[in-house]
Amino acid sequence: MIITSAKTFEEILGLLKDEDNIFVIGCNVCAAKLKTGGEPEVLEMCRRLEESGKHVVGWALPTAACSIRSFESLAEKNEKIKEARCILVMGCGSGVSAVASVVDLPIYGSNNTLSLGGSSGGKLLSNQCVMCGDCTISEYGGLCPKSQCPKALLNGPCGGSVDGMCEVNREMNCVWTLIYERLKRINRLDLLYVIHAPKEHGFK
Amino acid sequence: MLFNFREKLNSRKFLVTVEVSPPKGTMFSAPLEDACQLKGVADALNVTDNQCSIMHMSSLAFSKLLLDQGHEPIMQLTCRDRNRIGLQSDLLGAYALGIRNICLMTGDHPACGDHPGSKPVYDLDSVQLIELVRKLDSGIDFAGKRLDGGTSFCAGAVSGIDPENTLQLIKLEKKVRCGADFIQTQAVYDVGMFEEFMEAVNHLEVPVIAGLIPLKSLSMAEYMNKNISGIHVPEEIRLRMKDASSPIEEGLSIASDTIKELTKLSRGVHIMPIGSHKNTPRLLSMAGISGK
Repeated sequence: MIITSAKTFEEILGLLKDEDNIFVIGCNVCAAKLKTGGEPEVLEMCRRLEESGKHVVGWALPTAACSIRSFESLAEKNEKIKEARCILVMGCGSGVSAVASVVDLPIYGSNNTLSLGGSSGGKLLSNQCVMCGDCTISEYGGLCPKSQCPKALLNGPCGGSVDGMCEVNREMNCVWTLIYERLKRINRLDLLYVIHAPKEHGFK
Repeated sequence: MLFNFREKLNSRKFLVTVEVSPPKGTMFSAPLEDACQLKGVADALNVTDNQCSIMHMSSLAFSKLLLDQGHEPIMQLTCRDRNRIGLQSDLLGAYALGIRNICLMTGDHPACGDHPGSKPVYDLDSVQLIELVRKLDSGIDFAGKRLDGGTSFCAGAVSGIDPENTLQLIKLEKKVRCGADFIQTQAVYDVGMFEEFMEAVNHLEVPVIAGLIPLKSLSMAEYMNKNISGIHVPEEIRLRMKDASSPIEEGLSIASDTIKELTKLSRGVHIMPIGSHKNTPRLLSMAGISGK
């Protein structure tokens, strides 16, 4: 799941200050789960934009904003898109890009895209993966230090953690402490002695 | 007669290294004057690399300024601000300018400093950075290309001193396996704990230079106990600071007692005062260390 957070309505209004006849596109996958672009949020956005003097020509909720077949497929959901002068996408950055690839109108995103995360036991998990394209997560018992350590350290913790908490955010567990505990539970502490080479960061 | 830091490292001499900071700006006369007090006292001067992620003049430039004044610098280099191209490029430049000693570390996160929005690089970590230096030393770069003149660095690394911190001990072991020539540690206040640490790393057979930060107040001791990883200022020392009529003098007296103990346990002492080195020569003389 892509983790997003909604920009403030004031910031969105600022983005749209020279725009009118807006068409709003939500996303019924990640953004819907996170309540940043599902149907209730899209309807609320339309209402508030209208209240602020903007004309909303219509809205649509594709299954996934990041997976759009064509402009026609959007028009099939709501042909009012043909009257739009601009598009507001309530998804992640990938959703905005996918819609932009089929609609030749000014396009805006209502969210900030934070990380690739997930949820477990009802708890939201952020920064689970940075999509480095060179996966070695099994070497760490299934917890990725590249994504969960703010310094992306592959060979062990920095000297900054205090009582198992991260230097950058004392409310956050040092992922290396979590890796240690997990490897201990699965009887693979030997993995801690492996010297890991840096990742290959070529454009992928 | 011993000439340079590497030779001293291989001797039996108890070493004294001290930490100096480049200026925040282009005016370098004041920090050079401060360093001047360390001549004949310190064997080498660690030059910090934007310590605490607070932007300063580069460690490389200030190391060269110190070198020109007849000091022996240990240029600190962190993984925070440069990718593998920048790191290698600076290392080649440093070597060409005469810098022979380096100390390699991860570096505090930018979020902790005065430019919290800057991009954290960490292309390599401190273990990989040691590997990189050893490649440059062998005359090839990190991508395997032959260099027109390689390096020959005396390269150290850093470590905490908590003997119970398995992860940290394993990381230290990796640094030594990658070829670290010496280790400089987090500040020691609890000599008993440091002794246990030394027992735990004895098999690594690497020279360990024990860190020391003279206390200036009780609140400083309490702050470090609470906020700095691996630092433990024992109750006994806190009481000495609490009852002291002059906390600065008491801090020096505690540091001097600690150095005396450390001469039996470590290869040297690394002094990191908060502020100037005004008291460093006196501290070493109190501890019975003659310097060079």
